[in-house]
Amino acid sequence: MAALLRALRVGSALRGLGSVVSAPAAQPPCSSLTRGFHRAALRLQDESKADKPPSSSPSSTTYHEHYRAHSAEQEAAGAPQEHSASEPAAKEASRPNTSYQDQSGEQGEEYETEEQLQARILTAALEFIPLHGWTVEAIAAGAEMLGLSSASTGMFYNGAGDLVLHFVSQCNSQLTDILAEQHNQVQLGQAEPKKTAEFLRDAVETRLRMYIPYIETWPQAMSILLLPHNIPDSLKHLSTLVDDMWYYAGDRSTDMNWYTKRAALTGIYNTTELVMLQDSSPDFQDTWDFLDNRIQDVVNMATTAKQVQATGETVVQGLMGAAVTLKNLTGLNQRR
Amino acid sequence: MAASMRLLFRRVIRLSHRNVNVTAAGAPGRPAGCWEPPSCRCFSEAAGDRSTHFGFETVPETEKAKRVYKVFENVAQKYDTMNDAMSLGVHRLWKDTLLHVMHPQPGVRLLDVAGGTGDIAFRFLEYVRFQQERQKRRAARLMQAPSWQDISNNYSTEEEDGPQESRAVVCDINKEMLRVGKQKADGLGISAGLSWVVGDAEELPFDDDQFDIYTIAFGIRNVTHIDQALQEALRVLKPGGRFMCLEFSKVTNPVLARLYDVYSFQMIPVLGEVIAGDWKSYQYLVESIRKFPDQEEFKGMIEDAGFYSAKYCNLTGGVVALHSGFKL
Repeated sequence: MAALLRALRVGSALRGLGSVVSAPAAQPPCSSLTRGFHRAALRLQDESKADKPPSSSPSSTTYHEHYRAHSAEQEAAGAPQEHSASEPAAKEASRPNTSYQDQSGEQGEEYETEEQLQARILTAALEFIPLHGWTVEAIAAGAEMLGLSSASTGMFYNGAGDLVLHFVSQCNSQLTDILAEQHNQVQLGQAEPKKTAEFLRDAVETRLRMYIPYIETWPQAMSILLLPHNIPDSLKHLSTLVDDMWYYAGDRSTDMNWYTKRAALTGIYNTTELVMLQDSSPDFQDTWDFLDNRIQDVVNMATTAKQVQATGETVVQGLMGAAVTLKNLTGLNQRR
Repeated sequence: MAASMRLLFRRVIRLSHRNVNVTAAGAPGRPAGCWEPPSCRCFSEAAGDRSTHFGFETVPETEKAKRVYKVFENVAQKYDTMNDAMSLGVHRLWKDTLLHVMHPQPGVRLLDVAGGTGDIAFRFLEYVRFQQERQKRRAARLMQAPSWQDISNNYSTEEEDGPQESRAVVCDINKEMLRVGKQKADGLGISAGLSWVVGDAEELPFDDDQFDIYTIAFGIRNVTHIDQALQEALRVLKPGGRFMCLEFSKVTNPVLARLYDVYSFQMIPVLGEVIAGDWKSYQYLVESIRKFPDQEEFKGMIEDAGFYSAKYCNLTGGVVALHSGFKL
């Protein structure tokens, strides 16, 4: 786990240089690469713990040396040259957080990136939402719980918006994991495939149940999501959510249906969410009934649409027939 | 009287012809009255004594601190008046912006280095006090009809942790500036949570991990070794603490830059002479602004010192830049 975090950290530094290192996003099957980083990073950490640099050149030169030393066993042979060219990003990414760690030598979170740290703060802040609401105070309380000063909330330039968006994307990824798991179960034959309507119903219910711990303050969160500068991000999360749901429901359409299906599900999801805010029945039973009815409506509408089309064709045929008959009766059709 | 006026006029004319990009070659024809001749002492010192810039002059590093001290000793009494005159009051907006970006939570400890007359510290205390009052009002609104349980809870938890704990420490190397600041504080009636400490930004008299926020407003360009000051800032900040620096910087817009240069070199020393009776100090001020690294370079220095998430934003088109970094 620690090695993975280190790999991610150093990998993201390399990504910034535009080099082609495969470590960052993928779970590393190239374990030799991460081990190489691990060793280099460990040695760097020891060296800079030994001499606290007022000038940062010693640590950077050791970093470069070790990089060159390990370049043979790493695939990123091209990286060192680019590394020496752009110091600050690499140094910033690789310098150990000696200030943030107690000196007992715990190396668990030392090499995480800023984004990971921000994610951790926001996750910790979720606990304090019932108390403070979706506000910067909640983020401050979360930071303090992690041992950081509350001044670190300044990192979140969008304030409460960052917190809400983080929570939404966290719920989305949880849902995706659950749906993928169900999909695997079906593939392995351990579970029965559900019908589309039922699948969607369960997916929406699972997703909305994630809001239950925060349902008191959820209206505040929704209003934050609707702020103009947050709308692009919140729309993006909503659209990926709906897309994922349809994908796991088995939709592979490539025509107009793609849009209509997603639009329908977006409508269902949003209206159900609003109903949930005002629901006071035990375990939100009213909400799930509402959801059932809406999905049933959509299903009915689909069948009705087909029927209407069929009926329409029949009606047109009938009218054509009537017209021909009339023409025959009046004698216009005769050919002399 | 007439002689000094003639001297003034001659200076004005000379300066109006001066190119802005004069480097540390020394001021042409500056009367050798109060300043010691700088270039003679530059390279005659013992080995290891490097030189640095003092405005457009080059001075030995050991000299710079002393001369900066003298400058601020001279201007301390009229410092605030001059700030208002030179910036037409806009410096208040800059400092207010600093506070808004800082958005301090109740209970944080602020260290204001080179804080001199205490502007930032006063604003900080007022901001925190306002936030706390707003929170109390919000809590009171929610408690319009308290139950007996709530009332008994209120009585049992009288010791609220947040409010009384916000503390501001003003640190300055110059005793005169601190004295003026203390007088101001007494005049405004602010005393709770405020302390005044004499200290050097390159060697702060505080332990590690003491403060949540470290600010330095319009002071870091006077420090001889800026990287040392940044290192010290990193040291005294708690994990998660924030470094914020308000400083004059490079104007991005070329038209505005030209106007700004003309204003700086023509108007400000004159204002200094008229209001504070000290031309040279304000000449130093304007020159030291030109010698300070620009926004990107300073951001690089902040990152080199070990701060993360270093950012800056330009105020007033780049006249002032607000840099911020975190100790993570």
